[in-house]
Amino acid sequence: MIGGIGADGASPLHRLPAGSKLAGLAVIATALFFVDVPAVLAIAAVIGGAAMLSTGRAPARLARDLALPGLAVVLVGLADVLLVDAATALVAVLRLAALLFFAQAVTLTTSTGELADTLERALVPFDRLGLLDAPRVALTLTLAIRFVPLIGAEIAAIREAQAVRGLAGHPVALAVPLIVRILVRAEEIADAIDARGFPPPRGPGILADRAAPSPAVPSEDLPHDHP
Amino acid sequence: MNHTDRSEGGPRPTAASPSTERRQTIVFDAVSVVREGRTVLDGLSLTLTERRIGIVGRNGSGKSTLLKSLIGLVAPTEGTIIVDGRDSITDARAIRAVTGFLFQNPDNQIVFPIVAEDLAFGLKNHGFDRAQTAARVDAALDRLDIRALGRRRIHELSGGEKQLVALAGVLALGPKTVLFDEPTSQLDLHNRNRFRAVLAAMPEQAVVVAHDLELLDDFDRVLVIDAGRIVADDRPSRALALYRERSA
Repeated sequence: MIGGIGADGASPLHRLPAGSKLAGLAVIATALFFVDVPAVLAIAAVIGGAAMLSTGRAPARLARDLALPGLAVVLVGLADVLLVDAATALVAVLRLAALLFFAQAVTLTTSTGELADTLERALVPFDRLGLLDAPRVALTLTLAIRFVPLIGAEIAAIREAQAVRGLAGHPVALAVPLIVRILVRAEEIADAIDARGFPPPRGPGILADRAAPSPAVPSEDLPHDHP
Repeated sequence: MNHTDRSEGGPRPTAASPSTERRQTIVFDAVSVVREGRTVLDGLSLTLTERRIGIVGRNGSGKSTLLKSLIGLVAPTEGTIIVDGRDSITDARAIRAVTGFLFQNPDNQIVFPIVAEDLAFGLKNHGFDRAQTAARVDAALDRLDIRALGRRRIHELSGGEKQLVALAGVLALGPKTVLFDEPTSQLDLHNRNRFRAVLAAMPEQAVVVAHDLELLDDFDRVLVIDAGRIVADDRPSRALALYRERSA
């Protein structure tokens, strides 16, 4: 699903503010867990599917996006069939499928920047209470979206190299270099984030648009005419 | 004390600056950095004012540490680094607002998955509002002639394009100085040439760590660093000749 985040498009969902979409998703997700009538859940799944298709993303790409989470839903259904009964499995699968479709519709039509900004704004009350650091939480979300696919690429590269050495499928031969690479990468990413001025200066305007440059930056040093 | 071994003639005087040229005075005063018991920088004292400064040396000689110490990513164990009158540790934020850093691997520098969003990240951190940010993002993309990449996903870009995007993110802030850590090491010949042209056209001061010695040929000054000490500090022809000799 990560690969599809913020796909370009001009659908009505693309035009909706990110906050509205995320709030709607939260309401739908909560409501779905209070419903256990298969017909209602099936209708929700159909509506979710329609919302997803309205984004303009090709069905084949949607199928690829949903392959992994879809597999997880199927496994949950199988476990319910084996451990409980088929009716419970049907409700669980329909509920999760509906949720998955709505969530995919939102992520396809909302850019990472919008997601991060919205999350940051939503967390402001908790930030003010000192319970968390909103910009850092938003950055964590962004980093996960940005770097999870890169870690996937690292895994593929290490597997290839180990296969050449006759170590294909050896878990330690994969895990050790992967952890080392991730740690090395993490150190440089941390440096890069520092170098780019994170965290933003704190103050009343922490999340609002700032009319004036940060007071942390001497005004005589701020760029003027061109970047 | 000065560990530099500036040969007769020294770096050539910098050519008259165009009105748009921007630069800072960087002063290392007896700077040492010790990490995990190893001396990475050893009592460096030097003043950098030139528009184009190259740094060469073997792997592990301290080049990248020197560069990172300029913006406070590495703290000196002893001594001080002053950039245009500001201390690299206590005034790191102010220094970073006017001193960009281009890392060797752009994949580690680019935080957002969409090009324009990534350029906006640094601007937001430095307090620019939405309108200023949008204008600066467009201007930085135009400046490097990569406007077409604005809505592209980072993972779809080539290595050369990623390097330009990372540089655009730095330039969007309007720095006086840009620090480059082996900027061409992951680029093919075409992209190296493209990068050289971009660097040549930049009015900003540049401090460049490089193994690509040709990149430094027309620089104002080149430092050769070995085991944390400056062993040569001269115009490129002399400094690079010495470095080649020592590396033979």
